[in-house]
Amino acid sequence: MQYITRESAFHRLHPFTKLIFAIVVVLLAVLTSDIVMLAVLVGAVVAAAVVGGLARDLLRQVPLLASLAVSLLALTVLTIHNGEILGYLVPQSVPVIGGAFPVTVGAIDLAAAMSLRFAAMLFAFQLFVISTQPRDLVHLLDRLRMPIDYTLMLLIALRFIPSLQLEGKRIHEAQLARAYNPGRGISGKVRGLFPIIIPLVSNSLGKATVLGLTIDLRGYRSGLRTPMRDLAPGRVDVAGICCMGVVAAGYLAVLLV
Amino acid sequence: MSPETGREIALSLRAVSYTYPGSEAPALNGIDLEVRRGEIVFVTGPTGAGKTTLCLAASGILHHEYGGALEGAVAILGKKVRDYRNMGEIGRDIGVVFDDADAQLIFSTVEEEVASGLENLGIPRAEMQQRLRDVMEAIGITDFADRAPHTLSGGQKQRVAIAATLVLGTEILVLDEPTAELDAEATGAVSTLLRRLAEKGTAVLIVEQKLNELATIADRMVLIEGGTIAKVGSPAEMMQDSVLRHPAPGNIRPPAPAAASPCGVPPIVSVRDLVHRYDGVTAIGGLDLEVAPGEIVAVVGENGSGKTTLVKHFNGLLRPTRGSVIVDGLDAGSVPVAELARHVGLVFQNPDTMLFAETVEEEVAFGLKNIDPRSTGEPIDAALSEVGLLHRKAAYPRSLSRGERQRLAIACVIAMRPRLIVLDEPTTGLDAREAARVMETLGHLRQDGHTIVMVTHDMLLGEECADRIVRMEQGRIVGDRRTYEEGLCPKLCSISPGRAPFTASTRSPN
Repeated sequence: MQYITRESAFHRLHPFTKLIFAIVVVLLAVLTSDIVMLAVLVGAVVAAAVVGGLARDLLRQVPLLASLAVSLLALTVLTIHNGEILGYLVPQSVPVIGGAFPVTVGAIDLAAAMSLRFAAMLFAFQLFVISTQPRDLVHLLDRLRMPIDYTLMLLIALRFIPSLQLEGKRIHEAQLARAYNPGRGISGKVRGLFPIIIPLVSNSLGKATVLGLTIDLRGYRSGLRTPMRDLAPGRVDVAGICCMGVVAAGYLAVLLV
Repeated sequence: MSPETGREIALSLRAVSYTYPGSEAPALNGIDLEVRRGEIVFVTGPTGAGKTTLCLAASGILHHEYGGALEGAVAILGKKVRDYRNMGEIGRDIGVVFDDADAQLIFSTVEEEVASGLENLGIPRAEMQQRLRDVMEAIGITDFADRAPHTLSGGQKQRVAIAATLVLGTEILVLDEPTAELDAEATGAVSTLLRRLAEKGTAVLIVEQKLNELATIADRMVLIEGGTIAKVGSPAEMMQDSVLRHPAPGNIRPPAPAAASPCGVPPIVSVRDLVHRYDGVTAIGGLDLEVAPGEIVAVVGENGSGKTTLVKHFNGLLRPTRGSVIVDGLDAGSVPVAELARHVGLVFQNPDTMLFAETVEEEVAFGLKNIDPRSTGEPIDAALSEVGLLHRKAAYPRSLSRGERQRLAIACVIAMRPRLIVLDEPTTGLDAREAARVMETLGHLRQDGHTIVMVTHDMLLGEECADRIVRMEQGRIVGDRRTYEEGLCPKLCSISPGRAPFTASTRSPN
């Protein structure tokens, strides 16, 4: 997840508008556990991405969200036994342990609500990150009087995700060139991780030191920030905030009724 | 321009000694060095001599960021480094370029990266924009101002990292191998810019291995060995020193050079109309190439010309967008990478990309066991012997010196006995002695029947060590010539088309 150079409607918005958008989505997502309302919220965020021309970039998160949803479902089925029983993981006909792990409506509802909530938050945050240049993010947080240490932590975290991916890919390629073959079975898979994880961690620690020094040497703690370009909110921001206000008001109205 | 000219001292190290945490031997021992305003001091020496540690000491990083035992005094513009509050304050006086360009790139576009430091100086916007334009043009990165730094080639990244430091306009520059991955043209641009900055009063401390390209702009040269200053002098004096002169690898090419066509031997690599595109960029745009068995081919070209992209097709790490790549009779566009690894060995530019095992022996065994789980230790010993690391068999790979790690990476590949060995920038970051040693190893391997393709931006290396130089520009081959007079190939044509016999033990010593 990193900034994408593109001329989209989202890119034209002021970073503050996009930050409000992300915060509003997060707040609306935590206000309810209603699956329909959360689905509407996810739909609204995706619709905003479609309008902004960034829908394809959001789709890249779908495999992650799907695996998260499956994990959550497994967890809730094993731990939540509220509501109507739809079936059993171990059929009742099995002797002794038959009827263990009932699959209930409550478990499925909770897993669906948590997955949708996470999807809404992730999509909103992703739209914010991929359409906002990191330096604009730094300037924004600086103006919002965020302590510089937190701003730099966020900057480094955002920088490190793609960096780790790239380094991991490079290491994977180097090991593939040595006929590396991740082992079979769970133990094989675990053993197969070592040739990737060890160089990844070692190299990343070295890079983190240089990255931290670079940030310091470029004067990010000087407090003398002059943005290269002025980003003033425009009509598109006013329109965006109005749209958000209408959607949020409607959403809250439905929740309260 | 000597230090005796009376110019103000910008940077001084007095009796500086330093031992890293957990280490017993000092990395620096009694260093006395001054750099005056307007002076360029060029530091060189073998890998592991303490050059990078010297840069860290000179820029106050050892004092403020590292543990370990630091003795002596370092002063920047007359102010002791311990009197600076933090690295941010030091950064207003010193610009530092580290040897890992990748790790210095933080932002999402090249322009944003270069501008990032400027925005923290509190200077007028018009001046910022002017400085940004000037530096980007001088370093030659304007053409890719909108690209994401992580999509650039190694050399392009290094240029961006240099620009992001030079744009700050600090009075002192400390540069740790800033041009290691740059081609001759880009190195020339950087050296011109440094000279210009020095004429305006900037003090420059530069650590490099590129004596021919960069030492000429220096006012003084310093040779550092074993953490101490072994010799100081003018570049003209120092270049007379046989230790510093680039040692000719020698005896790499056999007396009678290889040539494919006259002998009718089928090529080991055959590339036809290769096109490769990624992220909307055409990295290779319609390329044909044949490599004969037994050849040493140097693929040269400017940074970002598509050299690495080309060779990654040989072992299937990249698949053609269009066209075909046949290697040792296999279609590298479709055969699994693990299968191709038996025929093609790829030594990456940075050996740390692959080292993970507990011992050197286990590291070499990894690839070998992947292709033959029943393999014995004999090929491991032979490979380690070939690269001169048999005595380090039980050592932890990451504790080896940079040159030793590079040779270990080669050993890992040759133990698998591929017929074709591809090396991406095999001598980057190595001193002349280590580079010559690597090249000597390649010469032995060719005598044993391996074909070698090396990607390099070092034309001198190509001229001295390769049979053939293939020059690339913007994803195309723009030159293909032999480095010797044409003649019929003799003994190499008799190499069997089967697995290359890696016979370090049976080969007659050089």
